[in-house]
Amino acid sequence: MTRAGTLSLPLVRALRASEGRCYRHCDQGVRARTAATPLPGVFQVLACPSGVVSVAMYSEWSRRDASRSVAAFLRTRTRPASLVRATDLRLATRHGPELGPRAERLLERDPRRRPVRVVYWRVYPFQDAKGVDQRLFVCHRRAHTSPLFYAAPSEGGERACPGCAARAPRSSGARRRTAPQRARPS
Amino acid sequence: MAHPTAPRRPQRLTVVLAQWCPHCVPLSQDHARRLAARLKVPLRILDIDRRGEVRLADRIVREHGDASPDYLIPQVFLEWSDGAIDHLFTGFSEQTARTDRAWRDLFASAWLKALLRPRAS
Repeated sequence: MTRAGTLSLPLVRALRASEGRCYRHCDQGVRARTAATPLPGVFQVLACPSGVVSVAMYSEWSRRDASRSVAAFLRTRTRPASLVRATDLRLATRHGPELGPRAERLLERDPRRRPVRVVYWRVYPFQDAKGVDQRLFVCHRRAHTSPLFYAAPSEGGERACPGCAARAPRSSGARRRTAPQRARPS
Repeated sequence: MAHPTAPRRPQRLTVVLAQWCPHCVPLSQDHARRLAARLKVPLRILDIDRRGEVRLADRIVREHGDASPDYLIPQVFLEWSDGAIDHLFTGFSEQTARTDRAWRDLFASAWLKALLRPRAS
């Protein structure tokens, strides 16, 4: 038995995020990583090697608009939580014909006629109070139970994860050191 | 999306877009034009940056489409002879190639083939 809203494998494949170029940041490619959430659907984050997030997306096989649930989840994983704004969450319905033949057949045969609904989260680059350009970063390190999102300057932002900084051991001189971390394997 | 069974016919295709959006122009505008030609229906373009069109665009998205405070574009709607309006397509908030692939899948879909199949009257 599966939870309501869970995607079957052909749908997961049909909805796999496309890996292209980093959005308005660098020329590097973005990589899609699936992350654990308490929600029944699939949550994916598209980010470049520096950790700048192009887009995060949550897909669920359901009629409901999951925007509020996604926002609530993101607020628990974002520093500061105020980065998660309703205007940055956008809904899309996938009926089947646009997802390829396998997904179309699957959705067509669903007795409940449910589409797949996707919530995208895209935070555009912005300036902080000091006029410094900020971007949304993601940290996938093992120290976190699921990805941690945070805003940081474009350059060097990958070293500024607030979750990792909070866990870093302090030296006797009270100078904070960076904890050795290993990237989580895909 | 339900396969058509009732004796209703497509009446008009509407696409909500903006000129600055690469998923919209020329990509979805061209595909929508092609789809309208296949369906033999007129195409209506609602540009969200045009004062005379944005209200109508907001309304059709709010009542039939993927409504969000700052909703995704393009969104495509099919209007039927019985007055019904179906949401057909929303652009992908990823690479434009993904939106293009979705359009191509739509053109190759069983749904479209069934819709274009001549029916015994």
